[in-house]
Formats: sequence, C-alpha cells, structure tokens
Amino acid sequence: MMAGLVPAVFFLLFYFYPLAGIFIKSFVVEGRIDLSFLDQIFLSRRIGKIIWFTFWQAGVSTLLTLVAALPCAFVFSHYRFRGKQFVKTLASIPFVLPAVVVAAAFQACFGRTSFLGFTIDHPLALIFMAHVFYNFSVMLRIISGFWATLQGRIVEAAAMLGAGPFQVFFHVTLPLLKPAVWAACSLVFIFCFSSFGIILILGGPSYSTIEAEIYRQAAHMFNLPVASFLSLIQIFFTLLLMGIYTRFTRHATRFVPDGENHNLKRPETWWEKSMVMAVILFVFLLCVLPLLALVIKSLSHGGQLSFVFYRALFQNVSDSVFYIPPFHAIKYSLAFAGTALVIAVITGVCAALFIRYCETRFHKGWSSLFDPIFMLPLSTSAVTLGFGIIITLDKPPLNLRTSIFLIPIAHALVGFPFVVRAILPALRSIPEQMPDAAAMLGGSPLQIFRHIDLPLMSRALVAGAIFAFTISLGEFGATIFTARPETPTIPVAIYRFLGQPGAMNYGQAMAISTLLMAVTALGYVLIENFRKENSEGF
Amino acid sequence: MTDELVLEQVNKSYGPDILMLRDVNLTLAKGTHLSVLGPSGSGKTTLLRIIAGLESIDSGKILFNGKSLLDIPPYKRSFGYMFQDFALFPHMNVFQNVAFGLKMKNMEKGEIKTQVKKMLELTGLGDYENRHVNELSGGERQRVALARTLAPRPRLLMLDEPLSSLDRALRHRLLGELTAIISTLNITTIFVTHDHEEAFAAGNIVLIMKEGKIEQKGSREDLTQRPENDWVKNFLSFG
Repeated sequence: MMAGLVPAVFFLLFYFYPLAGIFIKSFVVEGRIDLSFLDQIFLSRRIGKIIWFTFWQAGVSTLLTLVAALPCAFVFSHYRFRGKQFVKTLASIPFVLPAVVVAAAFQACFGRTSFLGFTIDHPLALIFMAHVFYNFSVMLRIISGFWATLQGRIVEAAAMLGAGPFQVFFHVTLPLLKPAVWAACSLVFIFCFSSFGIILILGGPSYSTIEAEIYRQAAHMFNLPVASFLSLIQIFFTLLLMGIYTRFTRHATRFVPDGENHNLKRPETWWEKSMVMAVILFVFLLCVLPLLALVIKSLSHGGQLSFVFYRALFQNVSDSVFYIPPFHAIKYSLAFAGTALVIAVITGVCAALFIRYCETRFHKGWSSLFDPIFMLPLSTSAVTLGFGIIITLDKPPLNLRTSIFLIPIAHALVGFPFVVRAILPALRSIPEQMPDAAAMLGGSPLQIFRHIDLPLMSRALVAGAIFAFTISLGEFGATIFTARPETPTIPVAIYRFLGQPGAMNYGQAMAISTLLMAVTALGYVLIENFRKENSEGF
Repeated sequence: MTDELVLEQVNKSYGPDILMLRDVNLTLAKGTHLSVLGPSGSGKTTLLRIIAGLESIDSGKILFNGKSLLDIPPYKRSFGYMFQDFALFPHMNVFQNVAFGLKMKNMEKGEIKTQVKKMLELTGLGDYENRHVNELSGGERQRVALARTLAPRPRLLMLDEPLSSLDRALRHRLLGELTAIISTLNITTIFVTHDHEEAFAAGNIVLIMKEGKIEQKGSREDLTQRPENDWVKNFLSFG
C-alpha cells in the first residue's frame, strides 16, 4: 500500500539518516576511521562520572516517584469520592508540561524569593523534586489502573478461600501488581534517564547527565566526536531500557484479569476518609503549588500585582537577550507548531493506515515489525535527534541548514508516535467488513478513506493533532540545536531568560512560562475531551 | 432435620432507586441442594454474595447454625464460592490454585498435597497439576475452579452460574459431571442459574426469583404442578 511510503521516506531522511550521521561522526574523521577520541573519553573521569550520575539520579528519582505514587495508587484504585476525576486530571497536568516550564516553576517555588518562606537551593533536591512532579502521574496511572482491575473477583475468590486482608495482599495482589510496578518504574526510569531541560536548568554545570553533556560538548565546546559518541551511548542505553520496559508491559498485560471496576467503594471509616483526604492534599501540594508559584511570580513586581513582565514580552528592549522582541518567539512557536502538526498528522495517518493494512490484508508480522519502528522517536532522546539533524542535514545531499523547516520537521518527528498511537485504536475499531462493504458498493480506496475511515477516526485525529501541536510548543531538546538565533521558540526563550541575571529577565521567564503552561494545559484538557469516546491508547 | 442457613427479612439496595432484594426469607436444611432460578437482574447473584459476605445488607438477619453471620468477614466463614468467570489466580498453576485455600488454613505441606491430588482426581484433572491456568480450555478452568472451591471442605457451597461461560455442548456434558460430584458430597449447596434445565438438574429444591423477591420455592413437581401465580407458570413453561 502506497501510504506506507510517506512515513518510510520521512523516517529514512529525518530519523535514520541523522542517526547514521552520528555514528559516522563518531568514528570517521576526514574519511578515515579514527578512534583517537576514545582515549579522551575513557581517560576522562568526568565522562565516567556523568554516566554514573545519569543512572544514579534516574534510579533515585524513580524510587522517590514510586514512594509518592504507591499510596495514591492504592486510594485511587479502591475508593470513589467526589472530585476524583478532577484530582486525577490535576495530577496528570505536570506530565504534559514542557520541561523548561517545570524547571521554571521549581525555581519560582523554591528559589530565593519564594513565597513559601523557605528556599531549597540544592540542585540535586530540586532535580529530584521536579522529576517526581513530572512522573508522578505516569506511575499513578499505570499502577492504579492495574490495581483497580485486581479488585474484582480475584480478591473475592481469595477471601472466600479463607485469605484475610493481609494474606490477600501478599499472596494475590502483590504478585499480580508486580509486573505493573516494574513496567511503571522502568518507564519513569527512561524518562529520568533522558531528562534534559530539568537537568540543564536546575542542575547547573556541576550536575551533568549524558543528555546535558551531549549538548555542552556540541554547543559549547564544539567537540563533535565526543558529543557523537555520547549520543551513541545514550541511544544504546535508551533502546536497552525500552526493551526492558516492553518486556515488563507484555508481562503485565498477560496477567490482566477480565477486570471490571464495580468494586470501588466510598470511604466510610474515619481511617479511610483521612487516607483519601491526605492523598488529595498531597496531589494539591505536589502538582499545584509549583505551578501556582510560577503564576504568582509572573504577576508580582516589587511585592505588588503587576503585568509589567507580560508587557515587557511585547516590547523591543535594546538590551534584551534577543535580537528581537520576545513575543516573536511566541509567533515562531505557533507557526512551527502549526507546521509540525500538519507534517505529523499527514505522516502519522499514512503510518497508521499502513499498519492497519498490514494487520488486516497482509502479514501480521509486517505490522509487528513496523509498529515498533514507528515508535522509535519516543525512545530516542530529543537531544540526540536534534544533534543528528544538525550534523547531517547541513550539507548536500540534503542541506536544510538555513531552512525554516528544520524545526517543524524535528518537532513532527517527536510528535509522530503520539499521532499514530492516537489514531490506531480508532482505525482498529472499524470492523474489517466495513471497507469491504463499501468497496462492493462501488467505493474506490480513496472514496472509502474519505467517507468511511476519515469520519470514524476524526475525534482521534483531532486528539493526535493537538498532541503534535502541544508537543511542538514545549519541545526543547531538539529545538535548542536546530533553532537559529533569530527564530527562537518559547522554550528556548525561557531557557535564555533564566540564564540571564536581573529581575526583569527572570520575571519575563516566569511570564512566558505561565503562558506556555496555560496553552499546554488547555491542550491536554482538549485531548482528554476528544479521547473520551475511545479510551484506548495512551 | 435442623435448619442450617436462615435468612430473615433481608433487604438490600444499591442507592435509593435500585432495590436488589426485598424481604427475602429463606431456610435451608443441612444437605439441601438448592437451585436459585430467575431472569437476569432478579437478584440471584446478590443473594449469593450476601450469604457469602461479599455484600452487606441494609436490614434483616442471616444465621448459620443459629449464629449470626453479619459480623463475620467472608474469609472467616469457611464457605465455598465458585464464580461465574471462575476467577482463577492467573499467576499460579493448577496445583497452586487448588492448594490456595488449604495454604490459608496453614495446613501442613504433605496434607495439602494429598488433598489437592484428591480434588484433582475428583474433578478429572489428574495430571494437570503443573499446567498454567492460562493454557486451559474453558471446561478445564471450570474443573479447576470447582476443585479449588471444594478443597478446603467448605461448610456451604455456592455456585454462581458455573456453566454460563461455556459453550452449549460442553455445558450439557459438564452439568452431568457437576451434579454427580455435588450429589456425592454432603454439603449444603446453592446453585444460581437462569437456565431451567440446569436448575432442576442441580437442585432437589428450586427457588424462583423475580425483581428481588422470592416467587416460589419447592420441588420440581411443586413448581410445575402447583405454580403459585401466573408469572411462575409462564416463566416455567417458556424454558
């Protein structure tokens, strides 16, 4: 089927070609294989320390997230209470926020002029907290969703066989929950492992991960072979971790009993009620406080309510960090996001149609080959992608160095898997005989797509499109490589503002972060609305 | 014979609008094999879940051997309950599933082994011990569920539509096997079903329910020869 060609060409040019470029850059210098830089890496204690730190911080962050999410998952999977959906949505918002916004929010919340009355300025503490904030909802969703399906007959059957509450927990619930916990942990570990914006902004130069170091080596020291080699290490580890994660999820889904959530009860005893209250309070403190701090910071100047920072965004100040007024960044961001949306939706729809075609008409094996390939950008760090793109697409045969399309292309690549994941369940829900029936009535393939597939997947398509749009708005890792100085995006602007001294720059960072946060949160709420009809996918 | 299980004026509702059981009175002598028959939504399963202790009641009394069951959690009642979808533990093999109830009683290992073996022989699963439950067919799962329920020697056996998830031909064959096994045991049994044939095959007394109320209780002869009202008459004639 021809539709498969579109994502295939897109992937070859903008995914595999740049990654191959990284590989070549690592080992080939001036046409000859050169491994001399390897000495530099292996002799360097700094690189070893960075790799160790990357693992270590990801492990601690994952563990802390688990500790925070587990009690909440228990409450969410066992009780129904008023406002539960709202609390759930609230808890999910941090995950969709751009990393730069999260970093800015934590600086606002715990930084020097915090309204909390105390400050936390140890970079490690801030990194850990930001990672927990970020990944809390992922852990919560996976574990509580799975836990809820364990509430039904399985637990009752154990009780009828004489198992008391503790025996049920240790003999039935815990063994069944374990794969879900492992899956959630490995996913959060991957996210923390390739966390970039948070580390770069909150960690400072003394706390560098592989991701942050790729950026520093490439952009600050122009040490491209070392940056390339670090990218290879990063790709190797993320693929490995992704493989582990996939194994765990397969394990987890195999054990899913035919779940129904009929057994959620209202909290009745004093103990149950206070447990629910504690969880609600915790979610508010964790998820709302930093964001609230961000908004307050953006609106206060000299201890008073003021819009001065917002106004400044639209003024062309000569000593600004930029060559242009900051609101241009908003303009560029919106334009890039719109373009990225179009590219991601077109390639994503073609890819989803192609996978579905393989599943129904062709060999199943093909779809299980292409499905994971199309998910690859998810497991490739954005920094690696951005780096690969600038070192390969800046010279013939494909020179896009000065092209304005470089950024939307990179963004579309990151958003693409989300579009496919949003559309595929909708396509799968279309009965196989339906296109056949339409064909027997004289519909050509294009007409069938236009009149059958398209209307039936329209809601999912809108959700996927919003995904692509908001991801593009917040994308930082790839953008920081590909954005040209005169066309910055909002996250790049935030990063630059935060890197500059002065209350004005800081205030503007808060203001523009608040705007980006509002748009992303709105996008998330819209997606949730559009997904309500088919709750599959992610 | 004394009445072993007694339900007095039991009421149960889910929320203000959904009344599941109204004024249910029921007495069962030891060793009775009772079938509960009724259309879907008539409260059959709710009745069973209440006796099991999986649901609380709004008002009324439930006694077993003269003692109230209301304050006893399900896991202390020593009742057996076979679920409609069997609810086998997916992380255990056949042996571990059947042994679960015995393990909960802290029975000694050797004893568990003999008892599990006995149950597997009884249900025709002699060499299935090490099979994983995910690899079993519907009929085999049903047998494992029965063996697991019977293994701890429950004081009361409850079966909630134990054949409904199987296909027709298999259902017929297993019904014969199941009733044969039940009739050899001297346990009070409650068999819930919406199928007339099953109800009369599995119970010597049949209870007919409609919209949360007991319409009539009696032997096959009582019900077919002397239906108490037109609804029962119609319901039975359309089986």
